[in-house]
Amino acid sequence: MPQTRSWRAQRVIDRLPKKLSRQVVASLVGCVHCGMCTESCHYVLSNPGDPTFAPAYKADQLRKFFKRHYDWTGRVFPWWVKAKSLYTDEDLEQLKDTAFGKCTNCRRCTINCPMGVDIATLNRLTRGLLTHVGVVPEGVAVVSKDQWEIGNQMGVLKEDYIDTLEWVSEELEDELDDTWQGIPVDKMDADVVFSINPREVKYDPRSISDAAKVFHVAQENWTMPSECWDMTNFGLFSGDDELGGAASRRLYEKVAELRGKTLVISECGHGYRSTRCEGQNWGQTDVAFPMESHVLTMLRYVHEGRIKVDRTKNSIPLTFHDSCNNARSCGFYEEPRELLKLVTTDFREMYPNRAENYCCTGGGGAMSMSEYTPRRLKSAKVKAEQLKATGAKVVVTSCHNCVDGLADLIKHYKLDMKVTQLVNLVAEALVPLERPKHFEVKPAEKAAALPLAGYKILVVDDEPDELTFLCMVLEDNGATVLRAEDGDTALQIAREQKPHLMTLDLSMPGRSGVEVYSEIRNDAVLKQLPVCIVTGRPELRQVLYKQAVRPPEGYVDKPVDEEKLLRNVRKILEIEAGTD
Amino acid sequence: MSSFLHFAQHRLQEICLGIMALVYTARLVWIFRFKPGKERQATTARRNTDRSKGQAYSLLNVAMPWSMESSRRNLFFYLQFVVFHLGVIAALGLSFVIPYAPQLLQPTVVLLLQVLMGAACLVGILRLIRRATNVYMRAISSPDDYFSVAMLTVWFASAVLAAPNNIAEQGEWASLTYFLLTAFFILYVPFSKISHYLYYPFTRAYIGRTLGHRGVFPLQRGPKPANAPELRAQLAPAPAKEG
Repeated sequence: MPQTRSWRAQRVIDRLPKKLSRQVVASLVGCVHCGMCTESCHYVLSNPGDPTFAPAYKADQLRKFFKRHYDWTGRVFPWWVKAKSLYTDEDLEQLKDTAFGKCTNCRRCTINCPMGVDIATLNRLTRGLLTHVGVVPEGVAVVSKDQWEIGNQMGVLKEDYIDTLEWVSEELEDELDDTWQGIPVDKMDADVVFSINPREVKYDPRSISDAAKVFHVAQENWTMPSECWDMTNFGLFSGDDELGGAASRRLYEKVAELRGKTLVISECGHGYRSTRCEGQNWGQTDVAFPMESHVLTMLRYVHEGRIKVDRTKNSIPLTFHDSCNNARSCGFYEEPRELLKLVTTDFREMYPNRAENYCCTGGGGAMSMSEYTPRRLKSAKVKAEQLKATGAKVVVTSCHNCVDGLADLIKHYKLDMKVTQLVNLVAEALVPLERPKHFEVKPAEKAAALPLAGYKILVVDDEPDELTFLCMVLEDNGATVLRAEDGDTALQIAREQKPHLMTLDLSMPGRSGVEVYSEIRNDAVLKQLPVCIVTGRPELRQVLYKQAVRPPEGYVDKPVDEEKLLRNVRKILEIEAGTD
Repeated sequence: MSSFLHFAQHRLQEICLGIMALVYTARLVWIFRFKPGKERQATTARRNTDRSKGQAYSLLNVAMPWSMESSRRNLFFYLQFVVFHLGVIAALGLSFVIPYAPQLLQPTVVLLLQVLMGAACLVGILRLIRRATNVYMRAISSPDDYFSVAMLTVWFASAVLAAPNNIAEQGEWASLTYFLLTAFFILYVPFSKISHYLYYPFTRAYIGRTLGHRGVFPLQRGPKPANAPELRAQLAPAPAKEG
């Protein structure tokens, strides 16, 4: 009796021939099962003994039903070549687990295959077939939806994006010279159109700020688009060429609309690969303007003498992690090293490196698939060992995905390391401007209409998104914001800068907020500093009140309500004003 | 020579080679029906490389064990690969030499062929053992994978025995076995994984073109640290062999 087939399985089988190119077919029929790819995969190395992680095994999951339907031996004698069709939704779920949960499409197996089988491309094809019928991890579905509907993969609204650019611009007023006029948005005929990763808007505005600083010092004629600014592309991860093409076209068309001369792509491996290489192929479109990584732009600035850098400003021992998409799919690995050596003094090469480097383990969209997190972190063992062996204190990478992947594994394996990007190091190494603008907080000179104008507030929180949000709210209301991500830094800034108020998170790694609070209250200089506790752990409130010290002046629960926060801050500062 | 052996050495081989050619032609027509993907973007290769260099590097990769980590770190396996494939060439060549140029089979040549094909036979046995005992290999192996290697191993053994081509002293059985196995081998190959040599130029040329255009091929390796062997051992523990 013939086996019945679910409609999803049928659609996957029907879809397959539409996605077959000559390269793909050659890769499907060319594998000899020699097993040479096995040890090239970080999943295998971290999970010895489990053959389901072997690259050839993973590729065979697609090969099986290809052979059953499109290859003659597989059609006539399926058992002889292990050909097998897909029948049920459970078969698809199993395929999903392999294609999304056991591979980051890092392409390390591909370059280690004696036959030249492009295993990573086969895995992406499998993902695309599954995406077509909606069998994808929830995170991938959500992110893809945001990219389709909102135009960027993190669902950042236009107002929030513009707000961020505005406050980054305002912040830079303090640091840059008088010619700084803010980040230019939608400027026509710019020499450089700068596109970014939405993660920078949401969690890492410092990288936007640092990039802006570099552009400004280099006196670049640059701009950022108000819309269609996202250079990332979840089509690469979901295998959905339609999404890949649409997302790329949006950006290409925006650059053309602005009559930009060069599209510069901020440091992001998959964004660079998608925008620079794959987008034109997915979208079947040709692009008239050149595109380059921001790393290359910065390197050019140094070579052309447009910026001057002092490498002694970055003297901590550091190593470089090659993003898979940059190194193995775009050949982009020497330029970051060249730049790195110009802006740092203690660079240590990781081994293996360049195109042979191991994946950060957060690639291929893995960071958005929470259901596979334990597996991902277990598979990161080999990467952790690799990082540890360098003896470096900082790992530099040119990829936002890698930043998150590495930060996660560093935390998990308790490595004494931090992650940063080249743009941060270049900005740090920039020599002081010739016409620095001396900045001093003068409340009267600030926009008088803003309620917190003239007040210096120290925000302490270890969660980058929370920190960004709090800073944004307070700055929007006129405050000069100082920020700290841990207790020690907070105490140091408080002593040096003497803020009018501190907002303090209680749950932080290292010295907790409770300890910091006690120290403030017991410190002769700091004990009068008003503190507003901002925490998601209400039970810690009791701990604070049990201390034999003055209780905090304010208290705000997480998730933070903007109005409540401002009410608290205003109330505390009014009290202080009255006291003074 | 019996008429059956003569048939096995000549007409049977010709028929089988004809069928093989037909099947391969059909296979090539099939593969050419698929459109090749195109790299529309400008090259990302800033170093001294391009599509052609990438393609040449990729196709010659087979002769550069240092170019891939997988072969660089498994030089014994690479050596097995070389011996095995030279053995195939020798054994196939023998099927033409015996009927058409037997005078070439001088004692030294025969000895060299026997050593090479004997070594290939030994490699075949080692590969069968590896395929059957390594948990990863078992998981990816199909009956065709086992049968292809086993068949080639037996074929090598028969070629070693047939190489002296001394029917007068040996009798016909060795030669007959070898030619019948060769005929079967030629017929079976297009339907098995052994036909990978037909696809090799496609896979290697396309990946080479793509990665050459993108500046990845030829691969460039950075300086190796002095403690590379220890790091390698630390980073890549040998996977479990037994399942």
